[in-house]
Amino acid sequence: MGSAESANVALRPDELARIAERLGRAPTTVELHAFDAQWSEHCSYKSSRHHLKKLPTNGESVILGPAEDSGILHIGDFNGERYGVVIAHESHNHPSQVVPFEGAATGIGGIVRDVLCMGAEVIAVADPLRFGRIEDAQSHQRYVAQGAVDGISAYGNAIGVPNIAGDVYFDERFDDNCLVNVVAMGIVKESEIIHSYAPKGAHGWDIVLVGKATDPSGFGGASFSSLTLDAADEASNKGAVQVPDPFLKNVLMRASYRVFGYLRERNLTVGYKDLGAGGIMGCSAEICSAGGYGASIDLDKVNLAVEGLKPEVIAVGETQERLIWVLPPEITADVLRIYNEEFTLPQIAYNARAVVIGTVTDEPRYVLRHRGETVMDVDIEFLTGSIRDELPYAEPQAPHAADERPLVTGVQLDELLERVLAHRDVCSREPLYRRYDSVVRGCTVVPRGAGDAGVLAPVPGSTLGVALAVAGNPRIAKLDPRLAAEHAVYEAVRGVVAVGGRPVGLTDCLNFGNPRKPEHLGEFVAALDGLAHAATAFATPYVSGNVSLYNESAGGSAVPASPIVACVGAFDDVAHVVTMSLKAAGSVLYFIGRPQAALGGSVLLDVLGRHEARVPRIDYDLALAQHALVREAARVNLLRSAHKLGNGGLVVALCEMAFPTLRRGHKPVGVQIDEPWQWTHGAVGDLEALFAETGGFVVEVAAADVDAFEGLADDVEGIWEIGVTTDQPVIAVDDEAFDLHRLHGVWSAPLREVYP
Amino acid sequence: MNKRIAVLVFPGTNSEEETLRLLRACGGDAHLVHWSNAKLLPKFDAYVLPGGFAYEDRIRAGAIAAHDEMMDYVIEGAGAGKLVYGICNGAQILLEAGLVPGTGDVRRPSAAFTRNGPVPHFICTHVHVKLAIDPQRSPITRGLQRDALVPAWAAHGEGRLAATPEELARLEAGGHVAFVYAHPDGSVDASATPNQSALGCAALVNREGNVLAMMPHPERDGWTYNHPDRRGGNAILAPSGGAIMFRSFVQAVNA
Repeated sequence: MGSAESANVALRPDELARIAERLGRAPTTVELHAFDAQWSEHCSYKSSRHHLKKLPTNGESVILGPAEDSGILHIGDFNGERYGVVIAHESHNHPSQVVPFEGAATGIGGIVRDVLCMGAEVIAVADPLRFGRIEDAQSHQRYVAQGAVDGISAYGNAIGVPNIAGDVYFDERFDDNCLVNVVAMGIVKESEIIHSYAPKGAHGWDIVLVGKATDPSGFGGASFSSLTLDAADEASNKGAVQVPDPFLKNVLMRASYRVFGYLRERNLTVGYKDLGAGGIMGCSAEICSAGGYGASIDLDKVNLAVEGLKPEVIAVGETQERLIWVLPPEITADVLRIYNEEFTLPQIAYNARAVVIGTVTDEPRYVLRHRGETVMDVDIEFLTGSIRDELPYAEPQAPHAADERPLVTGVQLDELLERVLAHRDVCSREPLYRRYDSVVRGCTVVPRGAGDAGVLAPVPGSTLGVALAVAGNPRIAKLDPRLAAEHAVYEAVRGVVAVGGRPVGLTDCLNFGNPRKPEHLGEFVAALDGLAHAATAFATPYVSGNVSLYNESAGGSAVPASPIVACVGAFDDVAHVVTMSLKAAGSVLYFIGRPQAALGGSVLLDVLGRHEARVPRIDYDLALAQHALVREAARVNLLRSAHKLGNGGLVVALCEMAFPTLRRGHKPVGVQIDEPWQWTHGAVGDLEALFAETGGFVVEVAAADVDAFEGLADDVEGIWEIGVTTDQPVIAVDDEAFDLHRLHGVWSAPLREVYP
Repeated sequence: MNKRIAVLVFPGTNSEEETLRLLRACGGDAHLVHWSNAKLLPKFDAYVLPGGFAYEDRIRAGAIAAHDEMMDYVIEGAGAGKLVYGICNGAQILLEAGLVPGTGDVRRPSAAFTRNGPVPHFICTHVHVKLAIDPQRSPITRGLQRDALVPAWAAHGEGRLAATPEELARLEAGGHVAFVYAHPDGSVDASATPNQSALGCAALVNREGNVLAMMPHPERDGWTYNHPDRRGGNAILAPSGGAIMFRSFVQAVNA
């Protein structure tokens, strides 16, 4: 028998009482740890699940909504097969704050398994990152920002999955709680999807554990991530972080691909699932219960890295690089041979292997045995069923009143532009992402930095393309969580459209503070409203996601509301892709958007040290019409380049389009734009025209194509001819010209110090 | 009948599929051979060692893999004149195995592809490599023009050629530096080299010309869709760019 205190679990007294009542006895130590994991926020979504129901999850493109380890979106057909993109999104925030390299690396490792276990080939990862202030080279924040990137790089590069999208923001509100979100994407034929449940007729089938030998690492990981971080507990927290092994994972993935082929040849339906939170217990219980079965597991069969592990550690510990198969016994030997002999798992890592650990049962019980004793025996639905915490929440406070003072900066435009370009949210990300392999697998069309979304040609021999973009702006979130959520969707969708893709669906990772504080839960609820509203408007359903709460330190400081969104796009013919680099002098530049006198959340105001509550609004009907125009113009090859407006607004977008032309072997292409107030017809001031972050795009159209483009754009509002491209290496606004090389230097430098 | 090419998969290799795909698109009869099937290797006519992190790059990239059983067969085949082409991690393995420059004892490397400079970090960046030998010097480069420029991706943490000054002088004098990093216009200076590799070296060739070890990946720039800013028209699925390197190799194998 165990007690909650001696077992060091996070279950609350009322939850413990409920368990004892249901069991009709005191729970064993193993059972305590099992419920601790299953009923943690991380696994159960107990305080968030009912709010998540607001999100739209259905649509034409949805092959599999948010029910299993990953969602699946239809991206197109080839040779009579429907192809799906498998997508999953997760956070590894707490571990990354404590041990950034391992924490971030295991984030990539875990999300990749979520995609792999759907029967998919893993084709890409992405990494939305939020770090604290990195100016001090000796600070923990700098260490976190460097270590997390190195961990993502080391893991993703080694397994051979390209990192094609991501973003990074730096803010003091992330000093004590970084956010390391990870997205993974796979490709699968609809006819070959493998589900995360024991299929029909699986009674008596084998439960096969495959991967790394179980060790004591990652014990208590699920409940660790469902508590606030306390620096004093750092030492014990470190033990809850798992240890990554990308070398083993590389082999495990390839061996699994071989097993997929074996199953296809025999047209067999089986179950496959990643071990994440709750370890062997969580995975085996869920894969069996989801099929309506029970499970009986013999913990003595588990391959261990060290002898003498307690049964609760074997059952619930979160050793990385493991998955579970549910297989008909007649093929088990063949599958074991693929892993253990053909791919030699036991020689790749100590005692790694595939091994039968139990049986799928008819009885709805979850039973664990250890050294001949039954150490757990519970109703499997009680263990894996949903639990719910109805917590009170408060509406977020109304943002500060608008600052009506006129925007007189007293700063010259050139200095302002340089300060905005050097801002930590704007400056070049290349020093960071050049550490990621964004071209391995040879399918990359648009690598990191070349467009607003990463683009792949994922099906060899077909013209199908897939795009991936991520977004989530903490500067807006600090002002208005709901609008921040809407902008996250709008920006991710816009990123996909800017490369010419058709947005097909979304994933979200919701990073918030302590749900037991009404104001934090209120932010969560408000953000969900925004996520639901924007996704409905864009007809882009959510097919997977993750909730990360308790991003709060013991001192009570929490992250700003951080709804982070990834958008998947599709191309029937990836030849229609558009990159952001300007192509030639003599083109006409258009702004497609909606000028607004709303600088709230802009980098400009941050640079000027001002606060202003008016966050740009999104006109969804207008945005939809503009997105259709950009995609059609891309499809008929009228766009030489395109770039979304994001951090820093229009003038930064123009700089980012011109900078790539400074590379050796290219002709520099500059920009001449008209006086901003002219093209906005006085609707907004100069600074607002240049720096407001209102969304929209800049596109480059060859002079010869202007008539065709304007013909397409005839019925669409908000298309503004703003200037031309030139053969001078300058960004010229009316009669002021700023040297492109100098601006490029200012923009390139800041992150080089952190990521040399 | 076409000659058969083995694409070797060590534990940790990660670029085998795209390497295989482009070899086949360029007319090669290529097949993957995994480490547990090493004994199949003598039946093949040529070997390609793709990129990755064989044996986790323990000790030094390629150092452990050079002692894998598969390399026994590659060393034997190279000695018998079979063509061997290593890319990235494959290049590191060939150097650690002593097959390039091939002037000393087997598995006693005289140089190394080691940690990048000036900072010892992995970098992923598009590059061009320029043929620095007479195309006729190696069968593998015979299909290329003199001074040919091959677009490719450098994606490695250990790609800097390092050796004693005497050894570097021997490599240069012996015509072992097969490719150097270059700017897109073909000009060559130190700033074209992304990793401070000695002599700007991007690839080494052995004395006989049948073993080529190249750090950057032409196969990642091997299709029109890999270079969306450079392609003409809409032919998105044709081998192009870095494929000239694979074509030249396959031609040499099938010759």
